[in-house]
Amino acid sequence: MSAVASCHPEERSDEGSASLAGRKSSTRERGYALAALGMTSRAVAGELEDLARRLRAVTVRIHTSGPHFDAVGAGVLWPASDRVVVVTNAHVVPPNRGDDVSVEGANGLLVDASVMARNRDLDLALLTLGDMPDEWPTGAALGDARALRTGEIVVALGHPFGVPGALSVGVVHLVPNGDDAWLRADIRLAPGNSGGPLATLDGAVVGINCMIAGGLGIAIPTHVAGGFVHEALELP
Amino acid sequence: MPSGSPGARAGSSSTLRALSNDLAAAVERAGRTVVAIHARPRIPASGIYWREGIVVAASHTIRKEQDIAVSLPDGTRAPAQLVGRDGGTDLAILRFDANPTAKAVAVADRASGDALRVGSLVLAVGRPGDDGVSTSLGVISAVGDKWRTWSGGEIDRFVRLDLAVYDGFSGGALVDADGAVLGVNCSALARGTPLTIPNVTVDRVVDALLTRGHVARAYLGVAMQPARLTKAIADRLDLGDMARGVLVVMVESDSPADRAGLLVGDVIVAAAGQSVAEPQDVAELLGAERVGAELELSVVRGGERRPLRVTVGERAPTSDVRRRGRGS
Repeated sequence: MSAVASCHPEERSDEGSASLAGRKSSTRERGYALAALGMTSRAVAGELEDLARRLRAVTVRIHTSGPHFDAVGAGVLWPASDRVVVVTNAHVVPPNRGDDVSVEGANGLLVDASVMARNRDLDLALLTLGDMPDEWPTGAALGDARALRTGEIVVALGHPFGVPGALSVGVVHLVPNGDDAWLRADIRLAPGNSGGPLATLDGAVVGINCMIAGGLGIAIPTHVAGGFVHEALELP
Repeated sequence: MPSGSPGARAGSSSTLRALSNDLAAAVERAGRTVVAIHARPRIPASGIYWREGIVVAASHTIRKEQDIAVSLPDGTRAPAQLVGRDGGTDLAILRFDANPTAKAVAVADRASGDALRVGSLVLAVGRPGDDGVSTSLGVISAVGDKWRTWSGGEIDRFVRLDLAVYDGFSGGALVDADGAVLGVNCSALARGTPLTIPNVTVDRVVDALLTRGHVARAYLGVAMQPARLTKAIADRLDLGDMARGVLVVMVESDSPADRAGLLVGDVIVAAAGQSVAEPQDVAELLGAERVGAELELSVVRGGERRPLRVTVGERAPTSDVRRRGRGS
């Protein structure tokens, strides 16, 4: 595996057009899997639209500010027994950016959140929400990455290059078979997808996207993230 | 649980889910025939169980000639011997010491040649190690005629892919949405551009390697460069559209060209009755079937045109393409 690049949260700037232009040329390079699938059928487009809508509801934007630039990353609303927390990558909320961050839901509502736990080895962080708006969902549906089949279609939702709520489509490259193995997907990810969900066609989250390595999208499997949440919240 | 829990299976009858299932089934089917080959440091490469006892691999991924191990789809490992390789097409074949059982690995199911269509949905299936089979999805982005690789190999169809050929995917299979094999993927033939060597070429090379140990390649023993004749000479010799030719800049000693009397400074204006303007034009006349045959050349030497007959020889087996180009 060569050229391991972390998807750092994209700089939040007003240069929306510049990042869009960058995204355009990079998509032309290989083409989103969506185009490769030749999904002209309206039914398929509708299904993807529906899937994107459901995933957007459980994916948040995490705003952090630092000395040089403000950044945005993704996070997943995670059901943890009687409450909802946010799970993201540790590199989305690095310690030098402080523990107090702002979380934005799909409906644009901003909520204060604080980093409760970070694990740099797993590249996971857990955020607890201040007052969660009533209209927010109770958390994402969770799946099991170990039950995936190689070649199965998966989708990623995130904010590549700052573009909010973008969906990319790909296939499972390699199913994790050890306790700590990563889930690898043949899917196009970009900086800004970090911390966002990798999900099945049912909308079940099977991984937290964390990096691009050798062109592959790498996600932390849900069972690993679940273990981290369990430990951080000291759940029985 | 919110809406969209896994139990809901909202999209269980959807078109997308059907496609997803087909793709996963295609990978499963192809995965029974794709093996991992441990013959280089670091990342192992892929191979296909092409015929009973025979595995096809990408030559550039075979970096040692002994102690080669092959990981089979059932998780076992078997020793294999390198039978031969062809640097021109970047193919190599290996033979198992003992034929594995049908349960351990299945012989490749081939798709027909006309299945190669631009835009068709395809999967690259590889096994770069013992972690299981892996895949990438894309389309065939170009299909062309017969072409010659930079190292002289003849490939029956040019098949370019719009998909990622990841590390260790060379030697793996390109399969259609049913999981039938369309060819062998290789990233070392065109500077990293993912290409597929079609089944028909693989069969031809496998046959040649099994019978002779190498792929015959016709050979003259000259280095050439394009040249343009002056108008005066062209007019005097009445060359018409043959005013261009190839200048011989080197003649290997004791080569077929040397024996035929070709000299440095000769300008070849025609070969086998066809005018030539580029070294490639001559190279194209040197298919394997020419070995041992006479090739009629028309050369301009000292302002005169003269015919020359060369008995085409056979080039010694080429080295493989390793360390050249970028391959995975």
